[in-house]
Amino acid sequence: MNVDKKTQKYDRQLRLWHANGQTALETAKVCLINGTATGCEILKDLVLPGIGSFTVVDNKIVEGSDVGNTFFLVSDSIGMNRAQAVTEFLQELNEDVKGFHFSEDPIALIENQPEYFLQFSIVITTNLPEKSLLKLADILWNAKIPLVIVCTVGFIGYFRIALPEHTIVEAHPENIIDLRLDVPFPALEQYVKTFNFGALGSMDHAHIPYVVILLKYLEQWKRDHDSKLPSTSAERNEFKKLIQSGRRNVEEENFDEALASVWKACTSTKIPRQVEEIFKISSCENITAESSNFWIIARAVRDFAANEGLGLLPLAGNVPDMKADTPNYVAMQNIYRQKAKEDASAVRARVHNILNSIGRSTDSISDDEIDSFCKNASFIQVIRYRSLQEEYITEPKNADIGRWLQDLQENIVHYVLIRAMNRFYESYNRYPDAATFFLEDDAEEVSEEASNDFNTLKAYVNILLREWKITSYPEHLDNHIHEICRAGGSELANIASLLGGMVSQEVIKLITKQYIPMNNTVIFDGVRSTSSSYIL
Amino acid sequence: MAEIQMQTDVPTPQDGSEAANKDWYGRWSHLYKILDRRGPFADPSFTPGHGDVLDSSFIFLREILLNNCRVLVIGAGGLGCEILKNLVLSGFKNIEVIDMDIIDVSNLNRQFLFRPSDVGKPKAKVAAEFIMKRVADVKVTYYHGKIQDKDDDYYLGFQLIICGLDSVEARRWINATLVNLVGDEPERIRVLVDGGTEGFKGQARVIIPTITSCYECSLDMLGKQKTFPICTIANTPRLPEHCIEWASVIHWPKIRPDIKMDTDDPTHIQWLYEIALERAKEFNITGVTYSLTQGVVKNIIPAIASTNAIIAASCCNEAFKLITTAQPYLNNYMMYTGNEGLYTYTFEHQKKPDCPVCGNERVTMEINKEMTVEDFIEYLKERQEIQLKRPSLSHATTGEKIYWQSPPLFEQRTRPNLEKMLIEMVEQGDEITVTDTTLPFSLQIVISYT
Repeated sequence: MNVDKKTQKYDRQLRLWHANGQTALETAKVCLINGTATGCEILKDLVLPGIGSFTVVDNKIVEGSDVGNTFFLVSDSIGMNRAQAVTEFLQELNEDVKGFHFSEDPIALIENQPEYFLQFSIVITTNLPEKSLLKLADILWNAKIPLVIVCTVGFIGYFRIALPEHTIVEAHPENIIDLRLDVPFPALEQYVKTFNFGALGSMDHAHIPYVVILLKYLEQWKRDHDSKLPSTSAERNEFKKLIQSGRRNVEEENFDEALASVWKACTSTKIPRQVEEIFKISSCENITAESSNFWIIARAVRDFAANEGLGLLPLAGNVPDMKADTPNYVAMQNIYRQKAKEDASAVRARVHNILNSIGRSTDSISDDEIDSFCKNASFIQVIRYRSLQEEYITEPKNADIGRWLQDLQENIVHYVLIRAMNRFYESYNRYPDAATFFLEDDAEEVSEEASNDFNTLKAYVNILLREWKITSYPEHLDNHIHEICRAGGSELANIASLLGGMVSQEVIKLITKQYIPMNNTVIFDGVRSTSSSYIL
Repeated sequence: MAEIQMQTDVPTPQDGSEAANKDWYGRWSHLYKILDRRGPFADPSFTPGHGDVLDSSFIFLREILLNNCRVLVIGAGGLGCEILKNLVLSGFKNIEVIDMDIIDVSNLNRQFLFRPSDVGKPKAKVAAEFIMKRVADVKVTYYHGKIQDKDDDYYLGFQLIICGLDSVEARRWINATLVNLVGDEPERIRVLVDGGTEGFKGQARVIIPTITSCYECSLDMLGKQKTFPICTIANTPRLPEHCIEWASVIHWPKIRPDIKMDTDDPTHIQWLYEIALERAKEFNITGVTYSLTQGVVKNIIPAIASTNAIIAASCCNEAFKLITTAQPYLNNYMMYTGNEGLYTYTFEHQKKPDCPVCGNERVTMEINKEMTVEDFIEYLKERQEIQLKRPSLSHATTGEKIYWQSPPLFEQRTRPNLEKMLIEMVEQGDEITVTDTTLPFSLQIVISYT
């Protein structure tokens, strides 16, 4: 048996984020503020895949209602410290994960000892008031530690990521093929020349890799057309006819594959716009001793493209499967791989030069990291999140919110309600909580208390709308105000678990720096079973 | 949206009060806020309680939920564990779970009701026992076995069925069974909530048999199974996968004809890995690893805790809404994708009029006159929307066997027909009955030659 227990246990996830992603997870220190039902569900989905450690910061005492909606509590936990109680049950999920609890009031901790949070790789909060949130967000932002803010109420879930910058090399795109058909490199041209189609027997002819077929006919086309590729659809059709003319019979699948790729072959290979944009970011221009590995390699790749790369990114080197006999396929694959190797080694030399110039040792960035960057160069991503400060105070997205609010299908309305609900909480130290909605034939009248909650919450909604300079009140907000009053700050187990899944998945993407996390707010509506993401 | 009355045994208020007394103070307080109050989006038929006044309607709703609603959970794996937890925390107290699997070490990264010491034990049993140990005063019974072992009466005994399965076959079976159950009696409708995941993607849907689109209606949405042509595997391997397939499909039966390959046996995987590696070397192919070997021969689909949590929670949220009518339920499909941002797509999947399970139109296929019976069988196997593995064919009106895959006697007798032209056996406009051992129903196909 050549597979260890841990690899077996994590097999189904290693197939998604591989050993390097797993290592990143296993060294991550996650902090959860408030061990609510939602908070525990998030941790469950992080402990299972094996984060390094988690710490629950919470000074509340377990109540009967907590045991009702949290799987990681039992009735004997009532009266115990909540951080400690949930930590014990969460810890059981995975013996490889360390669990800690800190029975401190999070609000006081943020106020008096905010540096406490700088020890973590990521901080997740549930049910934190706006004022504490802003202070915590500020501290983590400066330390470049990701903050995830989470709230669930009734059937609604909300979460927000704040982080100055997130860079991704391994985005795992579904299609990563770069064959350079329009600009074949010398070794590839050389290889194509070794084929004499006319001299091949029928078996061999039906096994010419389609890449070779396309390159052969493109060469012929270019000879007859001023070295230009087919560019109009009429020209492409004519080019298809040219390929067809070389086909010996309809059974030749390799010719089908060639014909299906004509459009791709006639599209010019260039640096994708989103990568060009990344190269323009100042972090790529101004490399210092503080620059991250990502930016150092990005700079090296940019310089590579501008010089020996002849305007192109390093070649990825993957070849898709195609109808071909083994020796030809393997030979062609090796030609692409060899070119990818050469490109990567040129980038490596540039990385080493940069490292020398900023006084870092050349082995401080591994060859694997550089190779992986080169392989994924067309798909690198940089996400610059907006800060909470910008969203709440300095640059709220007034116009966007106003526009989104007009559309009844949008989920932005829940954002407005959650913000208003939090303001309500800060004033009254409780959530709006009353039956305020009745049908016309209901015998009951709305009690005075209930109508107070409705009106107070609506007043907070109006304050927010005014802050966002939204002048007319969208009438459909009334129903959502009723629904928030009905929910009364409740956390339903299903919504807690659903958000737990969504949040933990984004946290895994942030920690592993693989796949693309959302930017920056997601709202789930469990009434309509829809979700939306917004940049707020 | 379809109007559908959930079937429940109407309890009397007295029945429930005892059970309710076992709860500690505040146990259901989160839930009661929703259940006791009317909401602007809830169906007008929703009857909430009224604050603390213990009148009969108040008891009624809580009781339906807490004690009298019997829910069946199919699958105690990644989705199943989550579903069981969510149901008991949402007030469902009477649950049965079915699963035929035993616990494997690779389940532990997401199936959180299992511990390393449970490896080798039946999933359904361990899951049910864990839930009852952790959550007070709930009844979770289990059946360690196949869903096909159970009859119509068994399935009629539940108000709702939630599926967290990883097999297309089992889903088709339960779907067809629940559709067939209805007949002409709408009170025999049992709602099916179905979840499925694959890596960062998944879907949750509500199927109301005979009313909404069913699982069979949407078979064409399944991704195409990755298969490799046998001639590539035998003659022109190019990928590491081709070498692994060669080891398992061609080499194993030749070298070890007496040993049945068990993909759960690590020594078998090791053997295949070594053979595949050798073949890869011979052809200068790189990339054969133990993990890839295991992935290819077991057809492993990546699975993670987070996606399972999302999909299972969505299924349970729909179940809760369906049973309580506290909010409108999903009509009828939600897709989730998490690899690139976070994206859901909610839509109404349409019923297929010629769905072989819930439709009432016959399927007509346009067939080339030149097709042999064997060609036709291959053609059927390739059709995404019918997903057949080993179809057997008969003439629908004469009953004549065209080709039967089993039993061996019939296979032998009908094998010569494979080479015949289909048109020799089936005339223009005739109907063929197609059966497959994996299907609980037969397909009727009208043949139209072109």
